[in-house]
Amino acid sequence: MNGKKLGAGLRGLLNCLIPILLAFLVGGIVIAVIGENPLNTYWVLLQKSLFTKVGFQNTLHYAGPMILTGLAIAVTFKANIYNMGVEGSLLLGAFFAGILGSRMTGNPFVVKLVCLAVGVLCGMAYSLVPALLKAKLRADEMVVTLMLNYALAKVLEFLTTGIFRDNGSGYVCTPMVSESAMFSRIFGKSRLTAFFFIVVAIWIVMTLYMRRGRLGYEIKAMGMNAEFAEATGMNVGKKIILLMLLSGALAGFAGAGWMMEDQYRYTLTFSGNPGLGWDGMLIALMGGHNPVGIFIASIFYAALKTGSDKINMYTNVPKEIVALIQALIVLFLAVKFIDGRFHLFERLKGKKGKESKTCS
Amino acid sequence: MQLMISILYDCVYHSAPIILAVLGGLFAYKANVLNIALEGMMLNGALFSVLTYYFTRNFAFALLVCLLTTLLYGLIFAFFGVTMKGNVIIVGLAINMMSTAVAGFILVMMKSSNIIIPEFDVNALKLNIPIIKDIPILGPILSGHPVLTYVSFLLIFLTSLLMYRTRFGVYVRVVGESEDAAKAIGLRVDLYKYAAILLGAVGCALAGMNLALDRLGLFTNSMVAARGFIALAAIYCGRGKPVQSSLYAILFGLSRSLAVNLSVYAGEASGLFDCFPYLLMIVVLGAASYVKYKNVKVRGFQV
Repeated sequence: MNGKKLGAGLRGLLNCLIPILLAFLVGGIVIAVIGENPLNTYWVLLQKSLFTKVGFQNTLHYAGPMILTGLAIAVTFKANIYNMGVEGSLLLGAFFAGILGSRMTGNPFVVKLVCLAVGVLCGMAYSLVPALLKAKLRADEMVVTLMLNYALAKVLEFLTTGIFRDNGSGYVCTPMVSESAMFSRIFGKSRLTAFFFIVVAIWIVMTLYMRRGRLGYEIKAMGMNAEFAEATGMNVGKKIILLMLLSGALAGFAGAGWMMEDQYRYTLTFSGNPGLGWDGMLIALMGGHNPVGIFIASIFYAALKTGSDKINMYTNVPKEIVALIQALIVLFLAVKFIDGRFHLFERLKGKKGKESKTCS
Repeated sequence: MQLMISILYDCVYHSAPIILAVLGGLFAYKANVLNIALEGMMLNGALFSVLTYYFTRNFAFALLVCLLTTLLYGLIFAFFGVTMKGNVIIVGLAINMMSTAVAGFILVMMKSSNIIIPEFDVNALKLNIPIIKDIPILGPILSGHPVLTYVSFLLIFLTSLLMYRTRFGVYVRVVGESEDAAKAIGLRVDLYKYAAILLGAVGCALAGMNLALDRLGLFTNSMVAARGFIALAAIYCGRGKPVQSSLYAILFGLSRSLAVNLSVYAGEASGLFDCFPYLLMIVVLGAASYVKYKNVKVRGFQV
């Protein structure tokens, strides 16, 4: 029994390592084709992000919001709700947290609390729209959230260039948040702030909730067979709304936090490219929709991000190559290499594995 | 009156690429493969048509390269989604990310934020139809579009024929409706899925070429702007029927052209008009699925 569990764990680990290695392999070929040294590039990528003190702290800093968006994706994707609106929730939460943060001064603790709460509320309000459409009208949530994201981006662009524009600044952005709404850097040299530790606390609560709580079980049941879940007495429509709200809240919190610990003002490139919400999707997939997996995956992914900035500095490889590697990871992740198709695991274990299988 | 004509002309103009993507994506929908890679394939079609034309100045060659590269994406999608039985949503997402990454990479390599073809005359590509162009009001609306725009409207009927009047169309629909039944009568299910996905790639390649090369002669990384997803929404709303789905595509084209033409009069709020087409699509999708499920009386929740 114990051995079987260990085998499953190893299988999961391999299932997520093989795509990463394959993606790096293909990426390496591309780097070699443009005439650079792939090993050197990858060494810079990893060394500058994981094996120096400042680099590692920066990696943790970038991982913070990604853990939250990863969880936000996981709670819906695992229940077979394809909520692409995490990016939108994050942007809306960040925008209004930023606006409020720029107008409010006073007790730093209260200001931060209010801003984060506003972020959460905005994120929830945004995800309520597709949730209601899905639960009441059964409109496909994926198409709806994608459309809403574009509509929201246009609205926020309008607000940033118009009403809320900071006229003192040379480029299009909202005013900077006040001193009391900023999370300050703990270690001075690196960007790490207290927000990361709040994220860790939320992560622990979510892990316990998804592992031991009723919610985790319900998510699993809905993901496996929504009709059956309904038949056994679960109100699936209501649960969809609940999960979408939870997802929106996590994403809004991530957005507000990112605003207050790193960006300080809303710009048109606030969440980067491809955006923290999309990063979250990759992380949730890489981590197998499992909280522990998500935590590890976000550290790894944040390392890619911090490292990719350094690639430009130390080599001639454009950092767009990292975006290509990300895409390849997602592509290879879609296929379960180990037991889905090739039964590689059984083959590796050889005859002994087969025997134990027949025994159990 | 002039405004009216220009709104309707723009409606045709904006509808064409979406119609092309819709017609391509229909087959995958009917074969029960959710193809969200339409977006990425369209971007790829736009990129390679402009890029090839930039270097070779040859339309036929641009079309060829654009088709071949997009078919390659189609093959990747089909291989990972059908042969390897991966999750098609994730595969589609990967294709979208990949085409954006490739486009970004190529733009960096060319040291530019966009590709503009120098001395490119968009008006020279516009084709005037001899008799129609002289009809008072219809003339300026229907005439004076690039070739692919006419092709897109013709293809609506050709796709209808292919879907409902040929053996291929019937088989694709059988595969979509019941894979087991298709297998039982000896159809090669995977083959038809591949064909459906590759037809989608062809449609998206043409859509991308129409969007970037035919109409503007330039490429930027954000130019597709969810048109692939809008095509997908149109397919959903029209339930995969060529004429109906195309009508939804035209509806989007109309709202887009209204947004563009009326924003001139809106002054300050003109920026808000851009989100109108997307919101319209959400409302339409909601209404369409409400109508679809209105009469379902069975208790249960089919996701």
